[in-house]
Amino acid sequence: MTTPASGSYLPASEELADDSAESILELLESRGLGDGLPVIPPTPKRVEAMLEYATGDPDEVLFTLQPRSGVVTRRVVAINAVLAGCPPKTFPVVLTALRALAQPEVNLRGVNATTHPVAPLILVHGEVVAEAGFSGGVGCFGPGNRANATVGRAVRLTMLHVAGAKPGFGDAATHGQPAKFTFCAAENLAESPWGSYARSRGVDAPSAVTVHCGEGPHNVHDAEAAGDPALILDKIASAMTSLGMNNAPISQAEIFIVLGPEHAASLALGGLSRKDVSSYLFDHARLPAAVLRRHFEERAWTQWMKIVADDHQLPMTAEPDNIRVVVAGGPGKHSLVIPSWGMTRSVTLPVQG
Amino acid sequence: MTTVYLPDSEPRPDIGKLSPSPGSLAGLRIGVLNNGKPNAAFVLAYAAERLAADTGATVSLVTKKGPFGMSANAAIPMARDIFERLIDETDIVLTGLADCGSCTAYSVSDAIELEKVGKPTVVVTTTRFEPIAVTLSASFGLADVRKLVLPHPLGGTDEPTLRSWIDEAAARTIALFTAV
Repeated sequence: MTTPASGSYLPASEELADDSAESILELLESRGLGDGLPVIPPTPKRVEAMLEYATGDPDEVLFTLQPRSGVVTRRVVAINAVLAGCPPKTFPVVLTALRALAQPEVNLRGVNATTHPVAPLILVHGEVVAEAGFSGGVGCFGPGNRANATVGRAVRLTMLHVAGAKPGFGDAATHGQPAKFTFCAAENLAESPWGSYARSRGVDAPSAVTVHCGEGPHNVHDAEAAGDPALILDKIASAMTSLGMNNAPISQAEIFIVLGPEHAASLALGGLSRKDVSSYLFDHARLPAAVLRRHFEERAWTQWMKIVADDHQLPMTAEPDNIRVVVAGGPGKHSLVIPSWGMTRSVTLPVQG
Repeated sequence: MTTVYLPDSEPRPDIGKLSPSPGSLAGLRIGVLNNGKPNAAFVLAYAAERLAADTGATVSLVTKKGPFGMSANAAIPMARDIFERLIDETDIVLTGLADCGSCTAYSVSDAIELEKVGKPTVVVTTTRFEPIAVTLSASFGLADVRKLVLPHPLGGTDEPTLRSWIDEAAARTIALFTAV
C-alpha cells in the first residue's frame, strides 16, 4: 500500500481575510475539506511550532497514503495537526501513527475504501503519555482529554485530506461511525499487571504507538463475577462471538481486548498472564463450524479451520496471539472488545518525529 | 490578511494507461476473475458467456482471485498465481464485483495491473458504486478503467433479473473492450 516515495512537496496556501474560526471553516467547506467541526487556522507560525517537535526535513516526502496516493511530509502532517488542535508535544505521535498506517500489512487502501465502519484505533504507550498529556485513565476514549481527542482527529483529518478517505468517494462506509472523528487513548501502564503492551510486541522503545483498524468499542460489563477470572472472561468471550463481525469469516484478523484496570487486576490475581488471557478467550470465544459455514459463502480461514467437521467449535480467529490484550481506562467493572475490519493487521512502532 | 496552508497534499499515483483495445473479440480468450462477492460467480460467468456468444470469443478461464483459485477475498489484490494464469491463458478479462468499498478498490487495482500487462479488463460495478469506482480509478493513476455499470444491488437479486440486466448491457460490454 505504501508507494515508494521520494522528493519533496511544498503545500499550497491561501490568503484569508482574517484568522477567525469562521473564515477557515468556510474555506475548508468550500473546498470539500475538513471533518465538519471547527478547526484552528494552520498559519505558518502555528505549523512551525508543531514542526519544532519533528526531526528531519519538513518537506521531504516520507510516504503516500492510500487510496488517494497523497504525499505525506512532516509539514503536511503538521498542518493537519494544527487544524485538529494538537498540542505540539503530541506531534511525533501523530506522525508515528501515520507511519504505522502506511505499513503494507495495514492495507489502508481497503481500510479507507470499505463500506465497513472501520476506524484506526491509536494506542499510545510509554513516556510520551505523561510528557504530552495523553490519558489512559478514566474516560480515556473521550471526551475531555485534549491530547487523545486531537491526535485521533489529526489522523482522521490526514485520512480525509491526504489519503482521500472522503465519504462517498475514497470512503464508502455505509454509516461511518463516531470513531471516525477521533479514536485515540493511552495504555494505562501504571495499572497494567503485565507491563507494556508495546514491549510485549517486541517494541522496546521509551514511547510507542499501536494502530489497529477495527470497529468501535463493544462494552463488556461485569460486576457480578466478584473477581472470578473465568466469569469475567466468559462475558468478554460472549462479546467476541458475533456473526456480524468480520473476525467471523476472516481468521487472520486480530481482536483487541481493552481491559479496565479492575478486570485486569482480577485476572492477574487469578494468576493469569497476558498470554493466558488470550488463550482462554481463544478457547472460549467460539461458534460452531456449521453456523459459520452457513453464514459465509467465502471464508478467509487458515487451512486447519477449513477441514474441521461441522460440529466443531471454531475460534473467532486463527490463533491466540491474534487476541491482543491491553489495559486502559479508569475505575469500574468494564472492559472493551474492539473487533477488526478483517484484512488488516495492527502495527506497533517506536515514536519517531 | 492571514496566510493559511491547505491541508490536502497532492496525489502522486503511479500513472498507468489502458492496453490497446482489440478491434474485434472474435477468437479471443475471455478470463473471469471472481472476487467472491455474492452473485459474482453468476454475474461474471453469464456476462462472459453472453460476450462469447455475441462475439465469437471463448471463455478460457473462470477463477476466484485467491491462491490456486480456491478462495476469494475481495479486500486484497488477486493472488500472484492467478495473475500469472490470466496472463498466460486469457486475452481479455471480466472482473468484479465492484459493489462495495474495498471490493471496488481492489477490483479497480486488479484491472489496472492486468491493463499494464496488455489485458483489456472490464470491472463490473453498479450504479451506486460507480462514483467510488471513478474516484478510485483516478486515485490509482488510471481514470479510464473500463467499467460496466449495472443496476444496484447485484448481491441478493434473483438470477432472471441479473440475466436481463446483463443482456441489456451486452452491447456496452462489447464496446468497453473494443471501442476505448
